[in-house]
Amino acid sequence: MRYICPICGYVYDEEKEGRAFSEIADGWFCPICGAPGTVFTVEEPREEAVVAAPETDSPEKQSFGEFAALCSNLARGCEKQYLEEESALYRRLAEYFTAVAPKAKGKNLEDLASCLRNDLSGFYPALRQAAESAKDRGILRVCTWGEKVTRMLLSLVERCQKEGTDFLKGTSVWVCTICGFIYIGDNPPEICPVCKVPDWKFEKVEGRRSV
Amino acid sequence: MKKLAVRNLRLCTKDCLCLYVCPVGATDTENSVIDKEKCTGCGVCAQACPSGAISMVPLEYPPQQQKAETVLTASRAVCQNKAGQEGIARQLAEETEDDALYRLMSAAAKSIRLVHEDLSRESGYMLPQSKNARERLQGWIQEPPAPDFPREAAQELLDRIPCNES
Repeated sequence: MRYICPICGYVYDEEKEGRAFSEIADGWFCPICGAPGTVFTVEEPREEAVVAAPETDSPEKQSFGEFAALCSNLARGCEKQYLEEESALYRRLAEYFTAVAPKAKGKNLEDLASCLRNDLSGFYPALRQAAESAKDRGILRVCTWGEKVTRMLLSLVERCQKEGTDFLKGTSVWVCTICGFIYIGDNPPEICPVCKVPDWKFEKVEGRRSV
Repeated sequence: MKKLAVRNLRLCTKDCLCLYVCPVGATDTENSVIDKEKCTGCGVCAQACPSGAISMVPLEYPPQQQKAETVLTASRAVCQNKAGQEGIARQLAEETEDDALYRLMSAAAKSIRLVHEDLSRESGYMLPQSKNARERLQGWIQEPPAPDFPREAAQELLDRIPCNES
């Protein structure tokens, strides 16, 4: 039987692990998000739509949002090489593109959740397949991290849709500044469950009032 | 390959061995940042540092790995989606009155951007010195993507960062 973490979607597969989940669930925690084993549920068979490589909306023209990430990525690249002025220039270009990107008016949580589901059901599997044929281990790593981070975010969005945002009140929201993993808790995890960096790489997301 | 010593202030435990061994006094500065002008790249400070806080950073990098066309197409599709998601998360953060949702959506926008940057890095934009990065900048300078594009910033990047591919 397979048991799934309701927080992040991590699956405990009894067959692979060689131990019944009931034997370990008590006092055991999800290796991805730290949820207690007792909240895991039996995985329901999911109809995985087989998706062919999805077509992009406009294959030629990249959006401003894409340019923004391209520039902020290169800003980080400069920062890692200790090229501070260059990093600031790329950061400026990234901010420019973020500011000119069209606003996503009239969207709600379900729109976000549905986009995230599309990534998990179609776009990431297609990318993984391409990376496997090309033996591109860099991209396989991107898929491994990106899928986990996306799944965690989706589970949080779905939880908000289902029960509102009370579960976030009185606690903190943390983002791993390396892989983007979101963690809810008073303190960040000692080591990022996705990319394994230490806790000081996590950033606490402040609310409007606390700024 | 020419290298320069760089101190990571987060790791530095002020054991001062770098001060004792540096033949030109480059490590002794008021702001703890090693003086680039003085550093000769000899590396003795990095070897002497007990906390591993000094690394020898190269000034030149080999060309980045080439990527398969099939990978780039599939990656592009994820990038496009990530850009859309970030836009929605930003908008939801901006519109909400609920501080908890504001925090979560701000975190979502950050998280999505980080994942997107990672994709971009592995899809032909790892090095600022790459031909891809330079061609991008040149394209924007020739044909500004939108009004008020900061051309001078793009030009300055081209001037400052040399190309490492032929």
